[in-house]
Amino acid sequence: METSTGLDTPTLSELESEAVRARPAFGEHSHILCDNLVRIYKTEGVEVVALQGLDLLVDKGELIAVVGASGSGKSTLLNVLSGLDVPTAGVARVAGTDLLAMTAKDRLHYRRQVVGFIWQQTARNLLPYLTARENVRLPMRLAGRRGRASRAAAARRADELLELLEIGYCAGRRPGELSGGEQQRVAIAVALANEPQVVLADEPTGELDSENSEHVFAALRRANRELGVTAVIVTHDPTVSEQVDRTVGIRDGRTSSETLRREDSDGAIIAEEYAVLDRVGRLQLPRDFTSALAMERRVRLELERDHIGVWPDRPRPEDPQ
Amino acid sequence: MNPVLLLRVHRGTATVLALLAFSAVLLVAGLPRMFERSYDTSLRGTLDQVGANITDITVAMRPPGGVAGLSGEDQLRAAYTHFVAAAPPALAAVLDRRPGGHGHSAIKTYGTPVAGRIGSPPRAYQYVNVAWLEGADRRVRYVAGAAPGAPSVMRVPGRPDLGELPLFEVAVAAGPSRQMDLKIGTTLLLGNSRPVIARVTALFQPLEPGGPYWNHNLDALNVTVRRPPGGDVDENHITALTSTASIPLLSRQDRELSYEWVVPVRTTAIDARNAAATTGGVIEYRRELTTDAYRVLDYVSALGVSPYEVTTALPEMLQRFLARLATAQALLFLVLGGVLVVAAGVLGLATRLLAERLRPALALARARGASTGRIAGTGAAAVALAVLPPVLAGYGLTFLIPGPVTPVVHIGTLLLALAPIGYAAVLLPLTHRRPLADRREDMVARRVSPRRVVLEVLVVALALAGAYLLRTRGLATDAAARGGDPFLMLVPAALTVAAALITLRCYPYPLRLVAWLTARARPAVPFVGLALAARARSVTALPMLILLPALAVSVFGAVAGGTLDAAQRAAAWQATGAGARVDSAAELAPATVDRVRRVPGVRTVVPADRGTAQVGLSGRTATVVAIDLDAYRRLVAGTPLRVPQAPADPGGRAVPALVSPDLYALGSFEIGWHVRMQLAVKGVVQGGLPGVAFAERSLIVVPYDASRRAGSRDHTTMLLIGGDGVDQARLTEATGGRRDILVTTFEGSLAKVNDTPLTGTIKNSFALATVALAGYALLTVILALVIGATDRTRALSYLRTLGLSERQAAGLTVLEITPLVLLTACAGLALGLVLPAALGRGIDLSAYAGGQAVPAYQLNVTTPVLLAAGLVAVTMAGAFLHAAIGRRRSLGSILRVGE
Repeated sequence: METSTGLDTPTLSELESEAVRARPAFGEHSHILCDNLVRIYKTEGVEVVALQGLDLLVDKGELIAVVGASGSGKSTLLNVLSGLDVPTAGVARVAGTDLLAMTAKDRLHYRRQVVGFIWQQTARNLLPYLTARENVRLPMRLAGRRGRASRAAAARRADELLELLEIGYCAGRRPGELSGGEQQRVAIAVALANEPQVVLADEPTGELDSENSEHVFAALRRANRELGVTAVIVTHDPTVSEQVDRTVGIRDGRTSSETLRREDSDGAIIAEEYAVLDRVGRLQLPRDFTSALAMERRVRLELERDHIGVWPDRPRPEDPQ
Repeated sequence: MNPVLLLRVHRGTATVLALLAFSAVLLVAGLPRMFERSYDTSLRGTLDQVGANITDITVAMRPPGGVAGLSGEDQLRAAYTHFVAAAPPALAAVLDRRPGGHGHSAIKTYGTPVAGRIGSPPRAYQYVNVAWLEGADRRVRYVAGAAPGAPSVMRVPGRPDLGELPLFEVAVAAGPSRQMDLKIGTTLLLGNSRPVIARVTALFQPLEPGGPYWNHNLDALNVTVRRPPGGDVDENHITALTSTASIPLLSRQDRELSYEWVVPVRTTAIDARNAAATTGGVIEYRRELTTDAYRVLDYVSALGVSPYEVTTALPEMLQRFLARLATAQALLFLVLGGVLVVAAGVLGLATRLLAERLRPALALARARGASTGRIAGTGAAAVALAVLPPVLAGYGLTFLIPGPVTPVVHIGTLLLALAPIGYAAVLLPLTHRRPLADRREDMVARRVSPRRVVLEVLVVALALAGAYLLRTRGLATDAAARGGDPFLMLVPAALTVAAALITLRCYPYPLRLVAWLTARARPAVPFVGLALAARARSVTALPMLILLPALAVSVFGAVAGGTLDAAQRAAAWQATGAGARVDSAAELAPATVDRVRRVPGVRTVVPADRGTAQVGLSGRTATVVAIDLDAYRRLVAGTPLRVPQAPADPGGRAVPALVSPDLYALGSFEIGWHVRMQLAVKGVVQGGLPGVAFAERSLIVVPYDASRRAGSRDHTTMLLIGGDGVDQARLTEATGGRRDILVTTFEGSLAKVNDTPLTGTIKNSFALATVALAGYALLTVILALVIGATDRTRALSYLRTLGLSERQAAGLTVLEITPLVLLTACAGLALGLVLPAALGRGIDLSAYAGGQAVPAYQLNVTTPVLLAAGLVAVTMAGAFLHAAIGRRRSLGSILRVGE
């Protein structure tokens, strides 16, 4: 029985519904979500912390690059996202799949249907004794598409993918007969074979010259635009940021900066670098900034009306002593 | 993922795998057949050496007097049918039931004296038994006279008191008829108390005198000359055959008769596998007949005493063979087990090589969404495609090898086929289950889990406990007679695994020490090589598990073979006593001795005199040997024979003597030999004088001139000869070829010991196994190197860009494998040397050493060390070969691969 007291106090049911009402979670609508991701390799008393609380949000259909120095943890991140590696702690979710709570079966489904990826080594992406078309069809066959109709559909899709990536002429050739750029584009087709929602690429142009790199990026961009696939490219090449919408920098296992690329009113491309502020308010200052001002151990912060001032920890000249 | 395509791509590796599977199946399915065949051949040889009367079963019945006899042949035949039917299944399987076989019934009188002859002068000491043998008329040819007819009656002229006596017409073999003067028409009065008359009406020749039928009735073909105890005249016994019509009269109650039924055994049906069952069958048959209610004649024997006596030496022969077989089987099981383990290991290694080759493709497939089941299925299918056809081909090919098929042939083949497939099916999903979880190539080695340490400690403890139990318990169980002991079969394997585990665990320590030393030295190659060896994790375990048993079995074979060889030589020396020996019953004339001295090859002749002497004035006798012990010791120097020191001469009339321990208490005593002589006991001779006098008790050794000193002259009845290649035939010729002079040579004795059945099989299979295992060892090292070839070539290529020469690169490869091979060689050598000691009691070699006890395995380390050194050399050569082949590839091509 419900009785109104006339007072503005919430009823129990109101409190309950308030409690269970979903508030927008961190990155709830992101296609790829990494929250405070930690990955630690332990061997014989030695611990290597490859990811130390990494945050990353990628929207659906975005094309981003993850850059960082060697050992910064970017390959670990990609391994985690591709389902080849399991993080030690944190949250990792791709297209609604929780990567920490996957069973072996989920993992298999994830690899078959959700992600596709491309390794740096051109040779590692393709089986040398299969033609480009057969290589593209391999993931479809592994995913268990049987029957004559689906086989024909698979063959058609393989050809379509190769055409889309402008390498239709390579369909009947084996990897040994292809250039490095062509091989990587076939690898992109392989990665796209099962219509994944996310494509991950680990240094896809690492072994290529600039012209071939250009082709590969064009292919990735086309896949991104025309098929609506979210693409994450890991690279240590800083010029990549000119090719993608957003570049995420990783330093010491954490996201440290983001560079956004946008066109200004004249049509010129402007790239602006931002520092990343994580959920608990941590901020990584770029190393050249801190070293230019000889900032060490601690800094002094001052809240201004529209910004926060960061000062080296030494007496300011205007401070009266 | 098409396995056929995968195989086509990696056809080189697949071919290696296929060839290995083929050779392994040939060995594992072929060797047991050869073994079984040689067991059978040796059993056949043993059984064929003796006559049918030894191996057949004779059921005999000697009823007491006063039992009513038979009415005719039918009763005997019915009894025969019963005795054949009464055989238990194990025995029935090997009985010869063919019609027209040599199974038969017989009635024989025994010990029938010839009381006199009618119409001819008497001959003393003659015994003529009268017998009826079933089927004898078909097996003889009458050379004179007419076949014996029906019995009649006759009165003995001049002996009216005897009245009418039954007269048997008998036939006598032609030879004995001459010997015993039993011409046609000779009429004999047989027996003293209830005499009968026998008249010789025919002389016969046996149709198949050497055949099994007559083998049972040799008493009818040959005169048996027997000297009764205490008598000085020989008795002549012969059995004469009478007609079927005489049976009722012959088997009358007043004769001493033996009824016999020969139940023939088909010796060809007995083989190594049913020998034990046959033995059991005969024993059961004996027991059954003891309690058999069937009665041929109507009488009751004494309580608990069987009326039937079953005579055959078959179980004894088979048991002796089985004892010998058990040793052979145990030894060959070790060999076969070693070969099987090593072959399976090498197959596993080759499978791993193929898995390593398939890894990139499978890893890619796995990353692109292949399930572990699919990975396992594809890999296993590829391995099965590579392995199954050669296994089937090898299995089929072994059917060309003559020899019986035992279950081990099928089981071994199946194991060899399934092992690599199963290995691939397990290894591949494990490798690809979680590609990156907690594993990074740049991290140091993982710490061993306590669980694994406990498991390893358990295996080692079990192996040691097993070896201890085997040593204390031995194989003195029933199981030994019925085949190998299952416990014995497991202990060597467990010991090998334990040794491998210990070696694997201890492997890093010596390596660390050497690495520490090389790190301080100037040259870089040893340091880098050892560092590579220390990091070569994947290469270590399996090759060690292969090399260790390979070497252990080879070394064990060498030790066992060497021991057997030494024991056989010792047995031959003990049988001969010198390079050659001449024994004579009578004294050897000086001229004969001179002739012997002149036989080519004879260097030294030591004369000796052996005889039996009366001890004191009592009835006790002793064997006396008069020999110059010092000369004899010089003669046998360098042989296993040990000759005691000659006794010191006390001077005076007393002859110094060595005596066996039982005579030592007598102190000084007199013996009566050629002359009476006083002996002064100067020492004890233990264990006889092998080769000269085998008596260990009541033995007296005196100087050669003892008789002369006692007032007679030197006598010589024995010559001990030293020399090279003394020909037995020439020696026999020199001694005049007399039958009472026995000539033995060392070579002859050795050949006799060597002829022991199965000896050749054991020695040959050890040699064969050693060769096979050496081949596998070489393959192991090469495969291990090939598996790690990609990593190594890359590492070497980097080093070469830093200035490493090609020669140094080859040296690095050799160095990388050296610690493993050296340590495994040491461990294998140690294990091989320990195995005989651990199994010492379990495997008794005495059956192969002329019955002489083989006290302990003789540890002659030369051959084992040579084997181990050979293994090391061969594997090093393999490593060098591998490095030399790898040298051809250009630096650029290697460094680009996979980068």
